[in-house]
Amino acid sequence: MYKHLFKLIWNKRKQNILFLSEILISFLVVFAVFSYLTYYYKNYIKPLGFDYDRVWAVSYNSDQLSKNADSLNIFYTNLNKALKAMPEIEAISFSSSNYPYSSSFMSTGLTQGGKKFNQISDFNVGSDYQKVWNIKLIDGRWFSPEDLISKNKEIIINETFSKEMFGTAKTAGKLIGDFDDKRKFKIIGVVNDFKANGDFVPANNLMFSRLDTTNLKWASTLLIRVRETAGASFESKLYKFMATMMRSAVEIQHVDEMRDARNKETIIPMLLFIIVAGFLIINVALGLFGVLWYNINKRKGEIGLRRAIGASGISVSTQMVLESLILATISVLIGCFFAVQFPLLNVFDVASGVYLIAILLSVLFIYTLVIACSLYPGRQAAAIHPAIALHED
Amino acid sequence: MIRLKNIEKVYRTATVETLAINRINLDIARGEFLSIMGPSGCGKSTLLNIMGLLDEPSKGDIKIDDQDIRSFSDKKLANFRNEKLGFIFQSYHLINDLQVLDNVELPLLYRNSSAKERKALATEALEKVGLSNRLKHFPTQLSGGQRQRVAIARAIVGRPQIILADEPTGNLDSAMGNEIMEILINLNKNEGTTIVMVTHDESMAHKTHRLVRLFDGSQVQ
Repeated sequence: MYKHLFKLIWNKRKQNILFLSEILISFLVVFAVFSYLTYYYKNYIKPLGFDYDRVWAVSYNSDQLSKNADSLNIFYTNLNKALKAMPEIEAISFSSSNYPYSSSFMSTGLTQGGKKFNQISDFNVGSDYQKVWNIKLIDGRWFSPEDLISKNKEIIINETFSKEMFGTAKTAGKLIGDFDDKRKFKIIGVVNDFKANGDFVPANNLMFSRLDTTNLKWASTLLIRVRETAGASFESKLYKFMATMMRSAVEIQHVDEMRDARNKETIIPMLLFIIVAGFLIINVALGLFGVLWYNINKRKGEIGLRRAIGASGISVSTQMVLESLILATISVLIGCFFAVQFPLLNVFDVASGVYLIAILLSVLFIYTLVIACSLYPGRQAAAIHPAIALHED
Repeated sequence: MIRLKNIEKVYRTATVETLAINRINLDIARGEFLSIMGPSGCGKSTLLNIMGLLDEPSKGDIKIDDQDIRSFSDKKLANFRNEKLGFIFQSYHLINDLQVLDNVELPLLYRNSSAKERKALATEALEKVGLSNRLKHFPTQLSGGQRQRVAIARAIVGRPQIILADEPTGNLDSAMGNEIMEILINLNKNEGTTIVMVTHDESMAHKTHRLVRLFDGSQVQ
């Protein structure tokens, strides 16, 4: 029967072009949607690498502060002490402006063992930054006061960056960077990957370096982990205190709200894409339904004949569904040929697994769509009365 | 072979009831060649459809090969049609997208025959109707007479005991019509196939063993 159906489809290839094109276009659209969704889902399920709850970001303008490094250091030490004395504060840390969800980026690059690493996020952080974000170390240690006298600049990197440079080997204690020995960075710790730009954005390579007297002037944010008891009245008190200390306006943002805003930047376009694709799929489904319905009406005589020469109602409806599935298979194979180019050519620098999952989901979706659209016309074909069909034709 | 007892067929719409067949009793013996004649709309094709199990009578009993087919399921009925009956239609009902050989093989597709067996039987059937040199042609490349011969080959490929022909010469000129008639007569004579033929052509009807005339759904001869 399959050979017979293939022959019938091949001989009617011109009439089937519309059906084939509809399925092919749907497959490619669905493949794009599933690639998009799989990519974001895979990022979403990865651990965040830090805890954003009850973290407030206080941004300030440091222009009014002393330009002298020592005076500035004393000022920040005193500010730190005064804030820590507040019972609502659990931990505080100064930071460069590129803290998680801040929409501010600082990156650097280095060459290690002849291999170039670009776009490494560079976070300049205070000594209690780990406590503020509850960052887990998987190797080595966090910054300590002794680091200030080290001849190499200490850094803490993330797990993926460590693996890209040294595989599974222990990284803490290694010097990196193809510079002369003094300028090399010393890795003192490795932390879990850190999704600083939102739940759906992958964690990129990063390094934490310590804010010291030489770069303290670049600090523009104070990150505070507050206790559960801290509410609006404390926020108001903190605002007044900071504004007085900094001699300028400050802005207090809750990081959980910043996270929601960052996630919306991904979710809203994703929803729009899904809605547009959904409408397209509905149109395609209606189109398929229409094409199949039209074919059945056009083939009433053939259906009547098949019933007369020995086809049961079930075999007629099965034939209609099988024909649709064979046509869908042809389109899906062509679609897969195009889809497979994405992992092969490493398009958009996305992991091959994302595309392969998307191909699999698209194939399943198309077959489900075709079966759903052909079942009812198939049943209608089976219900055609042979005597009437043969007489009409 | 075919026994019709008090067969009635009524077509009903919301407002009108049309009696298409009125109490027909007919016994057709094995190996008989019977023709049915009558004016248009007298119920000839309806009667043939009932004999071919393509339509159900409103009343009455029908037995084919001593089997009461009214209790058959759809699948059993389809198998019965496939094995026992062959159909020839005035408008041939060939599938234009399939080659002649594939058209003739069609009934065997519903029998789980192997591809080799199907091809052998279809080629043999086409040889019988003198079309062994047209296997790879499409129906649209054939004349009306050739198309009807393909339809006959399709009707006989499964070696049915009964052939039901609905005006098989209706679309053909007299020479072609006579050729088709010759093939049917030979089938009846040589293979012992029971043939029931609906026709408008008196001369064709007189070539058969028995003539049944219908008028307004009733048997008048």
